[in-house]
Amino acid sequence: MEGRGVSFKSDVWVDWCPGCGNYGILTAVFKAFAELKLDPSKTVIVSGIGCSGKLPHFVNVNGVHTLHGRAIPFATGIKLANPELTVVVHGGDGDLLGIGAGHFVALGRRNLDIVVILHNNGVYGLTKGQASPTLPLDAKTKALPKPNIQQAVNPIMLAVASGYTFVARSYAFEGEHLKNVIVDAVKHRGAAFVDILQPCVTFNDIFTSEYYRKRVYRLDKDPDWDPVVRKPEERISKMLKAIEKSAEWGERIPIGVFYVDSTVSTYEERLSSRLKVYPKVNPASSVIASEDLRPVVDDVKFKKIFSDLIVRVSKRV
Amino acid sequence: MGFSELSLILGGPQGSGLETSMLVLSRALAYRGYGVVADREYYSNIVGRHSYIHMSISSKRTPRSLTYPVKLLVSMDAETVFTHFKDIESGGVLFYDKDVRAKKVTEIPSIEESLRSRIARDLKALGAGEDLESVLGVLRGRGVTTIGMSFQEILRDLMKTFGIDPRSLSRYVSGIITSSAALLLGLDREALKYGFERVFAARAKLVEQNVYVADSVWRELKSYEGLLRLDYPETEFSEVLVATGNDVVAIAKIVAGLRYQSYYPITPAADESFFLEKYEVSEVDGTIVGPIVVIQTEDEIAAINSAIGASLAGVRSSTATSGPGFDLMVEGISWAGMNEAPVVITYYQRGGPSTGLPTRGSQSDLLSSAFAAHGEFAKVVLSSGDHLDAFYDTVLAFNIAEKYQLPVIHLLDKFLANSTATIPLPDLGRVRIERGLKPVPPGTYKRFNLEALISPRAPLGTPGVIMWYTGDEHDEFGHISEEPENRVRMYSKRIEKLKLVDEEVPGDLKLRVYGDEGGDFCLIGWGSVKGVALDAVDEIAKRGFRGIYVDVKMLWPFPRRELLEVLRRSGFGNVVAVEHSYGVNIADLAAMAAGVQIRKRIAKFTGRPITLSELTQALEKTLTSDVDRVVISYGG
Ligand SMILES: Cc1ncc(C[n+]2csc(CCOP(=O)(O)OP(=O)(O)O)c2C)c(N)n1
Ligand code: SF4
Ligand SMILES: [Mg+2]
Repeated sequence: MEGRGVSFKSDVWVDWCPGCGNYGILTAVFKAFAELKLDPSKTVIVSGIGCSGKLPHFVNVNGVHTLHGRAIPFATGIKLANPELTVVVHGGDGDLLGIGAGHFVALGRRNLDIVVILHNNGVYGLTKGQASPTLPLDAKTKALPKPNIQQAVNPIMLAVASGYTFVARSYAFEGEHLKNVIVDAVKHRGAAFVDILQPCVTFNDIFTSEYYRKRVYRLDKDPDWDPVVRKPEERISKMLKAIEKSAEWGERIPIGVFYVDSTVSTYEERLSSRLKVYPKVNPASSVIASEDLRPVVDDVKFKKIFSDLIVRVSKRV
Repeated sequence: MGFSELSLILGGPQGSGLETSMLVLSRALAYRGYGVVADREYYSNIVGRHSYIHMSISSKRTPRSLTYPVKLLVSMDAETVFTHFKDIESGGVLFYDKDVRAKKVTEIPSIEESLRSRIARDLKALGAGEDLESVLGVLRGRGVTTIGMSFQEILRDLMKTFGIDPRSLSRYVSGIITSSAALLLGLDREALKYGFERVFAARAKLVEQNVYVADSVWRELKSYEGLLRLDYPETEFSEVLVATGNDVVAIAKIVAGLRYQSYYPITPAADESFFLEKYEVSEVDGTIVGPIVVIQTEDEIAAINSAIGASLAGVRSSTATSGPGFDLMVEGISWAGMNEAPVVITYYQRGGPSTGLPTRGSQSDLLSSAFAAHGEFAKVVLSSGDHLDAFYDTVLAFNIAEKYQLPVIHLLDKFLANSTATIPLPDLGRVRIERGLKPVPPGTYKRFNLEALISPRAPLGTPGVIMWYTGDEHDEFGHISEEPENRVRMYSKRIEKLKLVDEEVPGDLKLRVYGDEGGDFCLIGWGSVKGVALDAVDEIAKRGFRGIYVDVKMLWPFPRRELLEVLRRSGFGNVVAVEHSYGVNIADLAAMAAGVQIRKRIAKFTGRPITLSELTQALEKTLTSDVDRVVISYGG
């Protein structure tokens, strides 16, 4: 399939609440994929469970709608098995940073070439508005009977600390910016993370579009802001800057790229130095049997490969 | 005349090289044509607690079971003698370190308190003191030959000759006990050297030093050479695989075409993944075998779900785990069932519940495997009775998973995982790789096409094809659908595939009968009880009871028809079930699935393997009395 001219919109009816920030994200995904000319059959969107988890059904590329919190493990298996695929994960804040937080951290450590897109709405949308891991302490959104008793985790800080090599934030209704960030994240080689501020019109009456519209500002407007690590020695200082910048929240909320580091090896590169033939010969492309169903390993090869475990009997005469 | 079959124990502290002794000895024995099976028993501990190798050797075949009492106890320390002295048969031999003769059982902190007082009580009852010297006296009184040697002297001499750092001397104790065992069994030094060479491979110095140790042992124990001489081997194999159950399953996975293995470290499964990592890619005669991506994930949830992801990309994938890890995987198994994703879960059972007996064996997860995960969907559970079966069953597991597009649980256990055996090389001419891949029909692809129970499966990445998967109920395209008519068709499709498995998998892959039908009893079991069950059936025949062993290999779908046929032919009367569990749950599964009532049950749940002597006795008891339930518990 050719990317150009393909409509990335599937014919599944989009059942999000009218006005939901997810619509902005979906539109940006269509545009980014079109700009990247992605081949739908070589592209996979992997999602978790939540309102956000439904996104793959609305897009005309392969879609894998997985379990709550587990999109990253599924994506990891898909990508490692077939490194030719473009793999993009979509998940909610509960999904990626609550139940799936361990996987979120692990992907950073691996720096596998996957994009993770966080639908950050501060609530558990699909289960009707409970506090999510990004909702600040003491916040009381309308569905909560009591103010939030747990602190929020800062997704950008966590991503940088975990080892993601592309870390950015955008806002669901900042269409062009969001599209560009997604394009850059897909182009980046290594684990990329995009935190998208996503108003939930139904359950989050604090972090609304009015709230964000007044506060978000673009990092790329600041000529002094340079998030790119150009040599390994710069890594720590750039990380610290990204972390410091990510702590900015309140009257002004930065969006844009916080951190990019292409000096870290990707998981694919690490594998390829170990497996040699990888990624050219990979799990999906390699042969396991002949046409007549016989295994690649025949009796002769078996003895050669496993010679360490074979004892040739030599009885005493 | 020597011994055609013999069993022995090598014991010592964990981390002191016992395993090396087992590796060397089993290779040396295999080299000279003997069959060996050796079980490794150890605490959940890295260094210091008592561990031992229980080995059976045969000049006729690969032994199938372990038995007590043993002919030979080779001890590294006093604790081993205190723990196992009662296991030596009269006329047997104890080899020990003279330097620890004065050690008292009450002075050994690594012995668990309850065991220590039991041993002290036993010694008192025998009128013996609490020191090792007294135990030696008891043994001699029972006709056991006790052979002592000063380990210190041997090691000091070695240290001087090779200029070894005194702190690393303890690693040569393994060489002392290996050599003395070899000497007593009548193995020659060349065979022993072969064992050292195979195990130490490139480390020539270690070989030289161990051979030096062997020479010292030979000099010192000359008069005992061949005291327990094995018969000249009658085995027919010219080449054997000497491998653990973990190794064999890993080898089979490579043959089966595995391309993705995920795991989170857990005993006794992790060694399988280690092995796979070592052999992740090979090039032989210009052909690349692999590559297998072996990944250590952050937890078992990621292990199963990433394996399912790899499966969606069209590759054979699996994960290996044990009880605690399996419990974490269950939601993923439900997703695989819902999405008709082939995946193999190699499940090595250990003693539960919870962390239970982390390094000991069990078969207590049968029902938990058969009924794991919410919702109803097709899933297959296979088991294997021994190393060679495990090889073929591993291939079968992948074939079934792919042909029927469902998760397969290959239910093994610690006994198989950690025991080393000499096994014939598998016959690869028998192996077929059946993937069930059908051409994708033209037109818009429907992953869950309802035209047949098995829909054409295209991997993610197939050019020109796109598809969707979801854990929600879905339509033929894989999009969410809650429409009742579709629900009924999809839901039924996923369950009814199991009928195909039941109808199409050949009967002897599901259930195997050993022995002549029409006898007095039918012993039924599954998995690693096979070897000991077969031996017990033979043994009890000598006492006048003729029976069969029924090995249930496919546990789910339960081979109802096959079992009923066997029982129809052999009579429903004396059916006895045996299992490493409290419940002997195979009997309940048979009741549920086949309507067969099995009252007589033999249970063992100490975490130690069922041995021949205790099973034969228990079987006799169930056959000669109206006792229905026998619980056995031998072994330290
Ligand atoms: C294991 C498990 N626990 C709980 C749920 C119920 N559940 C469905 S969606 C959801 C939370 C969704 O919140 P979030 O991930 O933030 O996604 P959103 O709906 O906000 O996009 C929960 C808890 C589930 N599906 N699976
Ligand atoms: S509940 Fe919130 S997040 Fe979910 S669809 Fe509605 S507005 Fe969007
Ligand atoms: Mg949310």
